[in-house]
Amino acid sequence: MARVILVFNKKVIAEYPFAKNSITIGRGEGNDIVIDNLAVSSLHARIDKTEDAYILTDLQSTNGTFVNDKRIVSHRLQHKDKIIVGKHLLFFALSKEEQAKAKEAVLDETMILDTARQKDLLAKQAERKGMEVAAKKEKIGVINFIDGSSQAEIELSKKLTKIGKSETSEIPLDGFFMPPTAATISRRPNGYAITPTGKTKVKVNNQVVKESHFLKDFDTIEIGSFKFQFYTQETEEKKTS
Amino acid sequence: MDHSINLYVVADGMGGHLAGEVASKVAVEMIQKNVNRWISTNSSEEELFDFPDRTLSRIGNYVASSIKLANRVIYEMSRGYTEYKGMGTTIVVLAVMPSTVIAANVGDSKAYLIRGNIIEPLSKEHNMVTEQLEMGLISKEEAENSPLKHILTRNLGSSDTVDVDVFEVEPMNNDRFLLCTDGLTEHISDDEILSIVKNGDDPEHLCRQLISEANERGGNDNITVSLIFVNKLDSERRGIIERFVYLFKK
Repeated sequence: MARVILVFNKKVIAEYPFAKNSITIGRGEGNDIVIDNLAVSSLHARIDKTEDAYILTDLQSTNGTFVNDKRIVSHRLQHKDKIIVGKHLLFFALSKEEQAKAKEAVLDETMILDTARQKDLLAKQAERKGMEVAAKKEKIGVINFIDGSSQAEIELSKKLTKIGKSETSEIPLDGFFMPPTAATISRRPNGYAITPTGKTKVKVNNQVVKESHFLKDFDTIEIGSFKFQFYTQETEEKKTS
Repeated sequence: MDHSINLYVVADGMGGHLAGEVASKVAVEMIQKNVNRWISTNSSEEELFDFPDRTLSRIGNYVASSIKLANRVIYEMSRGYTEYKGMGTTIVVLAVMPSTVIAANVGDSKAYLIRGNIIEPLSKEHNMVTEQLEMGLISKEEAENSPLKHILTRNLGSSDTVDVDVFEVEPMNNDRFLLCTDGLTEHISDDEILSIVKNGDDPEHLCRQLISEANERGGNDNITVSLIFVNKLDSERRGIIERFVYLFKK
């Protein structure tokens, strides 16, 4: 249960447990927290308990209600907030369980951090761990023909590289039995994967590939009579996508 | 809608007083509208919003560009109207065609491909934890329990430009694609998603099962799940794609 602690001249005068859904503060007798001082209006402020928060509202008092030295009209109370009414100080305190819940609620809410603050935070963390923040290097896949073609090294820069007889193939292969697209290599979050798409057999390291197969460095790929090797190399280029 | 392409979009809005819902609605509508318009007019990549990405196919650029354009509109709305201040949304898009399936995302909503007995992501998570993990600042275990999971490094609406992660794959018969908001993956691991999705053929039932499992484990976020099944795809890739989509909100 939350509490409100009334302090005057640096002395604790009273403590009020938050037993109702709403408590009022003022000079008048009918208030839950009565402060007998002329600087306090007869009905000065109210705290309402909602489902997940305590809301303090100033009831148009003459001298105003302040939280942590700022005048407020309505304010969502946090643990250890200092409420000032006239010359009196009211400490707001949450119970341990409520504090834990409040913390969780804040972290559960999705929020966005702007790029500058992000970089700053990450750089500081890296510094603390004694690391240098290096520019992210990207690894790019390369196909190198071993035989069956005179083509040179081909970089797999596309997200989806088509291999086959079709003119739109990034890696064109010819031959009577070669389908328009014999296989595709797609660049996915987990790496490069080869998928056979036609009737022509696709082998990786002498094993026939049926569905997708993630490629590792120096895997040997065979499509029909063509044979090539796959490997990755680092690029300095920054990602553009 | 052109029958050769089917577009699925899942968005998770943020920002109080319904602004989050406005942002996600604007994003979904703009992406659908623009991709379909560019397809029907067969637009060249140079006509699109922002520079084309040479690593993508033409349709891949349509999808990426439509997301960038939606970002700009949401950003301008949030700057122009106080009631929309701070609004934003995550987005994950799946464009399904007989020859290619394109997945694109910004934020922490995800796309998965379930092929055979393997589940693999087709999206990247744009949050602090992933950045820390990639930089080697924290371990995988630390990442899973990190409170920074909910802090996004990218979304639609917070900045005038945005980078979109796009992946393209060739579909195969019996492929199952799943789109979801972070409410699902917060409570269910990838392997658990795999075993649930493989354990049945009724997409509606499977979506319900995924969501009720997440809710049982204390999921209090809104959860949206969408499953797309690919079948009847012939070897010439001219066959039709039978698809099922189910969206659920708690």
